[in-house]
Amino acid sequence: MFQIYLPIAEIPVNILLVLLLGLGAGFLAGMFGIGGGFLATPFLMFIGIPPAIAVSTSTNQIIAASVSGLLVQFRKKNVDIKMGLFLVLGGFFGSTFGVSIFRILQSSGHIDIVIALVYVIFLGTISVTMLIDSVRTLMEKKYGVTWDKKAEHGEGGFLKRLERLPWQVYFPKSEITVSILIPIILSAGIGILVALMGIGGGFLMIPAMIYILRMPSSVVVGTSLFQIVFIASNATFLQAVTSNNVDIVLAFLMIISSAVGAQIGTRAGYKVDADSMRSFLALLLLGVCVKMLFILFTEPSHLYIIEVLKR
Amino acid sequence: MKKLTILLFFLASTPVFANPLISGISTNEINIDTKFNGAKILLFGARGDAGDIVIAVRGPKKNFLVTKKQKFLGVWYNGQRVKFKESYSFYSLFSTFSNNEGIDQLLTDLELGKNNINFYTSSKVSADIKNEFQLQLVDRLEHNKLYSSGADKIDFLNETLFKVLLNFPKNISRGTYTVEIYLISEGNLLSFQSIPIYVNQVGISARILDFAYEESFLYGIAAVAFALVVGWLANYLFLRFIGK
Repeated sequence: MFQIYLPIAEIPVNILLVLLLGLGAGFLAGMFGIGGGFLATPFLMFIGIPPAIAVSTSTNQIIAASVSGLLVQFRKKNVDIKMGLFLVLGGFFGSTFGVSIFRILQSSGHIDIVIALVYVIFLGTISVTMLIDSVRTLMEKKYGVTWDKKAEHGEGGFLKRLERLPWQVYFPKSEITVSILIPIILSAGIGILVALMGIGGGFLMIPAMIYILRMPSSVVVGTSLFQIVFIASNATFLQAVTSNNVDIVLAFLMIISSAVGAQIGTRAGYKVDADSMRSFLALLLLGVCVKMLFILFTEPSHLYIIEVLKR
Repeated sequence: MKKLTILLFFLASTPVFANPLISGISTNEINIDTKFNGAKILLFGARGDAGDIVIAVRGPKKNFLVTKKQKFLGVWYNGQRVKFKESYSFYSLFSTFSNNEGIDQLLTDLELGKNNINFYTSSKVSADIKNEFQLQLVDRLEHNKLYSSGADKIDFLNETLFKVLLNFPKNISRGTYTVEIYLISEGNLLSFQSIPIYVNQVGISARILDFAYEESFLYGIAAVAFALVVGWLANYLFLRFIGK
């Protein structure tokens, strides 16, 4: 009764299930500020959307989510546009390159396994780090135990070397002077991941802006959203043109439900204990990672797969 | 090609066309919409001469990709793939033959019977590999009810009148199908008739699919523009009605 036919994925899905999924992913993204695409893309795969379509449709949804957030940040004047433009430049090359890799992998038949493997690696690393971190914080609160913060060796030297790079430019909004090579290279790398994984990449971009670019934390979120809007737009457009992977009906359902979810999540985020929620998110990401592993190792029901080629 | 030659030769060599075979179908249009769950078409006919009837329904030709799953360190990945060019996406055969003695060559030439269908691979693959993948392709297509043969499904009302129920499952491709009716006697083709069936996809889903493939540039722009507008709208609505 609630079935809707997805024109590009060419399968019927339960409309309530998709809406619930978008709501959940949006809720968590709104609460933690990151992770919308990280959850939405695997969830879509779990309900039977082909991985390539899940990834490309997710980038389409990320545009909407990021524009919505960006407008809020613009109003608060929290966007370093000059820095954002350099990030867009790098991200443009990165995402274009990423879509080309995607295209090559799709025609050679390896895109599904590459998406799953990249997700397992990223989800595994992030969830375990987050879990250790939040358990520590909870223990500290409860028992007063403290862990020695590791002295960060080598990092100072690395940042020193970055200061010697050419094309140093002053960014008045952030009040920093850095080589334009750093934001360009950084966002190029993230752009590749955006195209391959259907994520916004905020979870990597934000720490990089703080620790490598040394941008003030007030402008970090807005500037990150600024570049995501452009990178996700570029990736979505190229995916639609080169591989016909963007399902506009699925994207529509995800956009609507995740927008509502994000608004609820943002408000709920003020009220709950952040540390417990972080460990919950970590467990959730770990669960998604394990489920992905199962997909990789489960014997397929048929050893031969038949596809009808569209062109 | 051979099939065409035979049929042309047949038409040319039958100057006095006695019309020993007349048949028709209940409809020659199938519309696939989102609720489509397969279709049945009734074929009826009459033969003027004694002989065996063979009916073949062929779907539009498509390119098929057959991929073999292989395992590496416990992980299943897509291994070897073979592309079959221009193969029938649907094939259904009915006949009154009890055995194929003496007419094997004719059936082969006319591509009648699933073992007589020609498959062509695009890449250079060995005959063994082609065979292995072709068997799997036919097997999967039969499993999906796209390939079938029903020897006993031709109903005879008397010596001349017959009817057959043609079954189209819900997963058929759109395009032009042909129903071919042959009258064969003692290894000779006595009469031949071909009737087209048009399978169309209707509704919004089909239009979106066409748009995405035929105007992918515009489709890409529309997808991005749409997301930008909805994002802006969501922000506006929440500010307006719910507040910060």
